[in-house]
Amino acid sequence: MDVQLKRGLLDVCVLAAIKNEDSYGYKIIKDLKPCIELSESTLYTILKRLECAGMLTVRIVEHDGRLRKYYHITQSGVRRIEEFKDEWKEVISVYRFVTEEDSHE
Amino acid sequence: MNKQEFLRGLRTALSGLPQDDIEERVTFYGEMIDDRIEEGMSEDEAVAGIGTVDEVRAQTIAEIPLQKLVKEKVRPKRALRGWEVVLIVLGFPVWFPLLVAAVAVVLSFYIAAWALIISLWAVEISLWVSVLGAVAVSAVFFAQGNSIPALMMLGAASVAAGLSVFMFFGCAALSGGIIKLTKKAGVGVKSMFIGKENSK
Repeated sequence: MDVQLKRGLLDVCVLAAIKNEDSYGYKIIKDLKPCIELSESTLYTILKRLECAGMLTVRIVEHDGRLRKYYHITQSGVRRIEEFKDEWKEVISVYRFVTEEDSHE
Repeated sequence: MNKQEFLRGLRTALSGLPQDDIEERVTFYGEMIDDRIEEGMSEDEAVAGIGTVDEVRAQTIAEIPLQKLVKEKVRPKRALRGWEVVLIVLGFPVWFPLLVAAVAVVLSFYIAAWALIISLWAVEISLWVSVLGAVAVSAVFFAQGNSIPALMMLGAASVAAGLSVFMFFGCAALSGGIIKLTKKAGVGVKSMFIGKENSK
C-alpha cells in the first residue's frame, strides 16, 4: 500500500481504538490486530504525531506498581474520525468509477 | 535476552537522539514488555515479540526526518571552549575548502554515473531511430525495384533492433541500480547520525 495512504489510515485506526475508552499501547496493538498489524515503533510514531497534532492527550496511571500511559482522544481527534468518514465516501465513489472502467474494457 | 538487556541495548543504539526522546522511547518499549509479561508471556518471549534492537533502531531511523538527526548531531554536547572557537575560526581557510572539495568529489562521481546512464539511453534511442530509418530506406529501394540493397537495409534494421532490445535491459538494470543505491545512501547518511548497530 502507498506509504502516505497507509499513514493516514493508521492515524485514524489508532484514534478509533481509543475513541470509546482510554487505552494503552499494548492494548491498542492487540485491538487493531484483526484489522491491521502494527509494530511497536510504528505505533510510537503515530501516537507522538497525534499528540503533537492535539488529537489525543496522555495520562500516566499507576498500574500494579508500575506506570502506564493511557491515551485519551480529544475533540479534534473525534473530528478527524468524522472527516475520515466523509473523505472515504469520496474514495469509494472513485473506486467505483475505476472498477467500472475495468468492466467496460 | 531479558528486559534490562534489551532496554540497555536500545539506549546505546539510539544514542545521538535527544536525551528525553531516548528516555521516552525506552519507557514506551519497557511498558510494552511489561504488558506482555502481565498477559502470561515469559520475559524472553515478551522481549522477542518486540523484535531485535537493530530492527527497532532501523525503524526509528526510517521514521525520523534527516534534518532533526543532523540538528541534534551538529549541536555540541557542551559549550565550546575559547581556544576551540579560535581554532575553528583560524582553521576555516583550511577545513572549509577541504570539506567543499570532498563534497564536490562525491557529487561529481554521482553525476558522472548518471551521465553514463543517460548516454547509454541516448544510444538506445538512436538505435531505434536507425531501425525506423533503415526500414523506410529499404521500402524506397523495394519500390524502385532494387531488391538486393533493400534486403541489406532490412537486415541492418533487424540487427539494430536486436541490439537495442539487448541494450534496453542493460540500461533499465543500470538505472534501477543507481536509484536503489541513492536510496541506500540516504539511509546510510541518516544512520551516521544515530547510535551504532549492535554487533552482538
